[in-house]
Amino acid sequence: MSFPPSPVAPALPLTFQPLPYSSLQGRAGFSGFPSPAQDYEPRTLDLNTRLIKNPTQTFYLTAAGDSMEGWGIFEGDLLVVDRSIKPRLGHILVAMLEEEVLIKRYALYRGTPHLCSAHPHYPPLPLENTDCQLWGVVRAVIHEYLR
Amino acid sequence: MIGLVDANNFYVSCERVFDPFLEGKPVGVMSNNDGCIIARSAEMKAMDIPMGIPSFKLESLRKRGEVYLKSSNYELYGDMSARLCQLLRDACPAVSPYSIDEMFIYLEEFSDRQCQILGEWLRRRIRRHLGLPVCVGFAPTHTLAKLANHLAKQSPNYQGVCLLQAQSATTTALLKQTPVGSVWGIGRRLAERLAVNKIYTAWDLHEADLQQLRKRFSVVLARTALELRGTPCLHMNDLDQPRHRIMTSRSFGQPTGVKEEVHNALRRHAQRSAEKLRQQRSLTRAVMIFLNTNRHRRDQPQYYPHAMIPLSAPSDDTRTILEAVRQGLEQIYRPGYRFIKAGVMLLDLVDGEQHQLSLLSPPPRKRHSYLMATLDDINQRMGQGTISFGMTNAEAAWQLRCAHLSKRYTTRWDELMQAGTHPGAIKECDLRKQTLP
Repeated sequence: MSFPPSPVAPALPLTFQPLPYSSLQGRAGFSGFPSPAQDYEPRTLDLNTRLIKNPTQTFYLTAAGDSMEGWGIFEGDLLVVDRSIKPRLGHILVAMLEEEVLIKRYALYRGTPHLCSAHPHYPPLPLENTDCQLWGVVRAVIHEYLR
Repeated sequence: MIGLVDANNFYVSCERVFDPFLEGKPVGVMSNNDGCIIARSAEMKAMDIPMGIPSFKLESLRKRGEVYLKSSNYELYGDMSARLCQLLRDACPAVSPYSIDEMFIYLEEFSDRQCQILGEWLRRRIRRHLGLPVCVGFAPTHTLAKLANHLAKQSPNYQGVCLLQAQSATTTALLKQTPVGSVWGIGRRLAERLAVNKIYTAWDLHEADLQQLRKRFSVVLARTALELRGTPCLHMNDLDQPRHRIMTSRSFGQPTGVKEEVHNALRRHAQRSAEKLRQQRSLTRAVMIFLNTNRHRRDQPQYYPHAMIPLSAPSDDTRTILEAVRQGLEQIYRPGYRFIKAGVMLLDLVDGEQHQLSLLSPPPRKRHSYLMATLDDINQRMGQGTISFGMTNAEAAWQLRCAHLSKRYTTRWDELMQAGTHPGAIKECDLRKQTLP
């Protein structure tokens, strides 16, 4: 589809044009043979089933701060946190340390497990001999460009 | 075996999941309108602060930072309760919620050892996945399971899981030291009447003559005695605990997805619950409704919703409760599901005689008690449901006073819990927001 070149803004409202929606329920031609697509119910893709594997144990949090931008987490982003996942190295965690709730990457630093950020101002925090407690594992980050 | 999973200081524990700062501190949750304390953390109990104490008496302690008070956040507690129930459903063959923080699990043909292992596993899992501490009690009957749960909570030796066999030495010893008023379903008034008949402890009731109990007291009491001996004979609706909670639930004759039918069933349950409430002269602070689809029909879509509706002031007015039910159903009803069961639960009951009217609560409806008394009288003489209520009009949304309300972390997009990318990040973020125009 192409629009005629316009010196000003494109003709509105573009958003009200109905999107083509494919229906898979039709029959193939008039031969009388059933369509091979007949067994497939038309369905839409559901983001919930992709991002939320364990609804009962999934909580949403909001990110604050800029020191995880290197890992793609910006202030105001939505974190999908699954509490049923066992943390492994490389996971991004929500952890409680000294009465603060922090988002950090669980990784090795000089051979021992640390909570790392993606910012030079915040050195890795060693996990040994601290009262750090896991809150949950971040399964996904949702960054909305338009709200 | 029957298991009872009971969350420790549930309301306080829910607050702590999302505000780790409250961990280890004395925390109290206040009733609607911030009137009095309805839930206390272990630390607050240790300070000898009694249940039900008016909040203003703790105001100076709160200002000095010696106690932390929260307004009741029923939306949060209701959601955490549903998650707890779902977690149990994923692991156990049958689950039935008894109140917002207590759920029965039914484990037929489980050995004692298997129950013990399952109990410990559930406890760890609920703690890790939801952040809630729970205790589990197992026994052959509901009444004994409740006692087992109590023991699991009180005695650190059990580490949160206690299994009681009927007629065992442990059970006998426990029954002998349990006052009869602590047995499930036995309220203060009944306990006083039992004392006159020289029944002081649970063991005395266990030993009592069943026919005498039936004749002098009630069938339910005789059944309670049987349950203490290990014979299961009480059903969920019999298990109401005076001054605690009232539930009416029933399966539909035929599964239904029609909203009006579901609403009508809930309305019947609500009216019956309100009647029970007035019989024991209590007032309720919150109404919870729930619906279940048939979990054994894997081919049908499943939905187990619930809704919690706090009342602006404690009430025993059927009309108020019906309106709460209507609001709750609006929140949770979705077409396309075939429901097999609906229930209404009245929570956080207060003694009607002791309840003092708060200056802030709306005045009670005039002549309301006459109306309700007449209604109950007619229904008692002429049979259940002779007079019932038609549809109520929608009323203005309830305005609650809640100065210390935590956020509704799990049910509102704009009230989510925050996590900082570095220490101090949340405070910086808040500051930035304030300085924005």
